[in-house]
Amino acid sequence: MNVRTLRRFVALLLGLAVAPVASAQDSRIPFKLDPASTAAINAVLDSAVAMGIPTAPLREKVYEGMGKGADGPRIVAAVRTLAADMARAHRALGTVATTDEIKAGASAMHAGVSAVELGQMKKQGGLRRSLTLPFTVLADIVSRGVPVRTAANAIRSLVGAGAKDQDINDFQKKVKDDIDSGAPPAAAVETRAKGAVNEKPKPESPDTTIRLDF
Amino acid sequence: MLVDELRQPVRLDESFDRRVMVRVRRAFAEQRKSRGWFGAASAVAHHPAWAAAMAACVVAVASVGVLRSRAPQRSGAAVAEAVQFVLVAPSAESVSVVGDFNNWGLGDSALVATNHEGVWSVSAPVPAGVHRYAFVVNGKQWVADPSAPRASDDDFGMPSSALVVEDGTK
Repeated sequence: MNVRTLRRFVALLLGLAVAPVASAQDSRIPFKLDPASTAAINAVLDSAVAMGIPTAPLREKVYEGMGKGADGPRIVAAVRTLAADMARAHRALGTVATTDEIKAGASAMHAGVSAVELGQMKKQGGLRRSLTLPFTVLADIVSRGVPVRTAANAIRSLVGAGAKDQDINDFQKKVKDDIDSGAPPAAAVETRAKGAVNEKPKPESPDTTIRLDF
Repeated sequence: MLVDELRQPVRLDESFDRRVMVRVRRAFAEQRKSRGWFGAASAVAHHPAWAAAMAACVVAVASVGVLRSRAPQRSGAAVAEAVQFVLVAPSAESVSVVGDFNNWGLGDSALVATNHEGVWSVSAPVPAGVHRYAFVVNGKQWVADPSAPRASDDDFGMPSSALVVEDGTK
């Protein structure tokens, strides 16, 4: 076997090796779905990439649909809805938003919260404050029957008062318990939000600062 | 004393690095000139056994690529935190946990909970971030976690819960 023959042989093997890898990589959904649905979902994924929207939540939605035994068209519809919600959340939250914030924001929008509300909360929270949990709790309390405006005001007041994720988690649990006990959802949220904001320790005034003079 | 001497920093003259790199570049240029493109193959060209071994290696690498591409991959390397999932279901015969962190149980990836007198629980590392999950009771009944926030986007008629895992390293 001379050098030229060997080169051709290796090039042929490389070509054969790369072809299946390339086609497998092109299949962006690793689990089996009917061809029409796969094509539709791939188109949504391509659009998401072009718009700068994270695609991982869209893939997760596909797996969720398959895991729950939904048919292809229903999965495609859910993925399209999620992509649209994420696109609106992404626009509302700006480029500083993380994938998790966009995902949680899309979930809140799905529950009925407006893009304007999300954008206002992001501005109020500041660049460093992750709003992933506040958006998640917002979606939860809206799904429990709290009017969107009431729920958004409550979460905004908590974020504005500097409530940490743990505080907002506690708030959600108390609201849920109140509603489960028969309280009207709006009243439960308003009451618990007031309590949570009042519980927040106020920053110390300069007069109370202890000075250590040595 | 010998140890102390060995621990002393080695002092090299300033031109040492430059001289080494000149030698390395010269050796590389000579090697490339004598062998040409894909020259390394000429060393094995006359040994059919080597050629067959190379071909086997190429095919093996290709197979691994296909298997990897079939496996679901996560974007980024998120930090995982141990999360315990608990469901009180005294009459259940089996409980498992599925969510976006295990591809919703596709490919036998569901987390199987263990029973402690009707309290079913399982712990698993979950990447930092926001997740959605549910319990599957007796292999068919989907149940949201009663102690967790609801996931609002229930597109498939089965409830899910939301979970936010904080990045413990931040």
